[in-house]
Amino acid sequence: MTITALQSSVHPAVEGGLRLQVTNISAQTDSISSITLVDPSGGRLPSYVPGSHLVVQYGSGVNAYSLTGSGNAPSEYIISVLRVDEGAGGSIAMHQLEVGDLVFVSYPRSAFAPVSNASHHLLVAAGIGITPILSHARAASDRGTTSSLIYVYRPGAGAHVDEARELMGSALTECGDRNSFQKVLTEQLTTQSLGTHLYVCGPVDFMDSVLNQARELGWSQARLHSEAFGAAELDDGEPFTVNLVRSGVKLDVPAGVSLLETLEKAGKTIPNMCRKGICGECVLPVLRGTPQHRDLYLTDEEKASNTTMMCCVSRSEDPELELDL
Amino acid sequence: MCSMSMPQAAVAGLEPGFRGVICASFGLTGDTAGYDPGAQPRHELHFDAATPAALAGLRSALERSNVGVRLVLSGPPAEIRAAAALAADCGLLDEEVTLLEALAGPRVIYCPHCHTTTIMQGDGAEVECQGCATTLAVTDHFSRRMGAYLGYSAYAEEAS
Repeated sequence: MTITALQSSVHPAVEGGLRLQVTNISAQTDSISSITLVDPSGGRLPSYVPGSHLVVQYGSGVNAYSLTGSGNAPSEYIISVLRVDEGAGGSIAMHQLEVGDLVFVSYPRSAFAPVSNASHHLLVAAGIGITPILSHARAASDRGTTSSLIYVYRPGAGAHVDEARELMGSALTECGDRNSFQKVLTEQLTTQSLGTHLYVCGPVDFMDSVLNQARELGWSQARLHSEAFGAAELDDGEPFTVNLVRSGVKLDVPAGVSLLETLEKAGKTIPNMCRKGICGECVLPVLRGTPQHRDLYLTDEEKASNTTMMCCVSRSEDPELELDL
Repeated sequence: MCSMSMPQAAVAGLEPGFRGVICASFGLTGDTAGYDPGAQPRHELHFDAATPAALAGLRSALERSNVGVRLVLSGPPAEIRAAAALAADCGLLDEEVTLLEALAGPRVIYCPHCHTTTIMQGDGAEVECQGCATTLAVTDHFSRRMGAYLGYSAYAEEAS
């Protein structure tokens, strides 16, 4: 139980959550493993909304992973983890887990829910983005709603391919390259009946491309649903100063250091989770100045109003920002 | 543009998988001619009223269309609200439907006691339900799903 020994304290993001035991680890591909977690006392786990994710603690950090089941009265939670060698270390720690280890996890969190009155779900996944999409496909099948799936993966690097084939049958289209995917996507985007909603998960540029094409073909925003799991690489940015009005403190944020890190070093406790501009946890109220928004959470309108910012990735257009802190 | 009542007539000239703009006008005041859909292909429909046959025609047109289609409805409130409710039932979203509402017109009042709707002329505060003859007090509570205002028994708490 190597990991448990390292978990000296419970991370705030998983506090009040669950303590689960690893009962199975199976390799999906060379770099993706599925990890099965159960309640050590044998109880049933809380149900979750399809497309939900679990925050899992590794050492002193946390990462979010999509649950792959339908979410209906589960006896186990299964996540699939892609090993990212140049990441923050979470995926490597997850790959070092062994059967019998105990891990701290949050309750499932829903940020990618299906639309309940949709008559058809058009699901699009690339690479490890298959995980929440598989949850949607299973839930749709359980509820008797039809769905179709376009799954893009590099040959030999596809996780859950057999499950997807068994579940979807002829409603699954597998693509090994961008060209064949383009053709299938355009065909699917132009032939859907009116009750269809689209769900996409994959790398950010992949999702942007799918969503842009859908919009160009007349899909309204309310039909489009996406879940980001990897933010694009961000540059170091320019240094700036923050004026914490309520505390009466001014702090310098150097290039290459985030506002969140600067605030933490100054002893401020800012709720946060993904630290990638995705989850929305570290939102801060802005009193004056124009933030340089680099997150994927705020809407375009919210960004334009310049009254809030995500301090994990966003910086400042002006030399100084005033925060209500 | 011609008047139609049959579902087949509403889809005449409408290619399967249509993703342009369907412009449906109702009654004498309905007019979508001033609506500019840009470069989108346009399919015109006109109905005298939102009768079951007219709504069946609109449903056929929507079921023949694919995601990407937009709907423009013009005419008296009661007619286009009924059509908008049908469009929502077909899977169209609010942001895909444009309502060009005539300023005045009869309202549709829903009776929660017998579940029928009554068309009410003028802007009074009460109407007699055509289903159960209850005197209904008319509220401002509007159901987009039903295309109707909620009524309720006006004198339910008075001893009879």
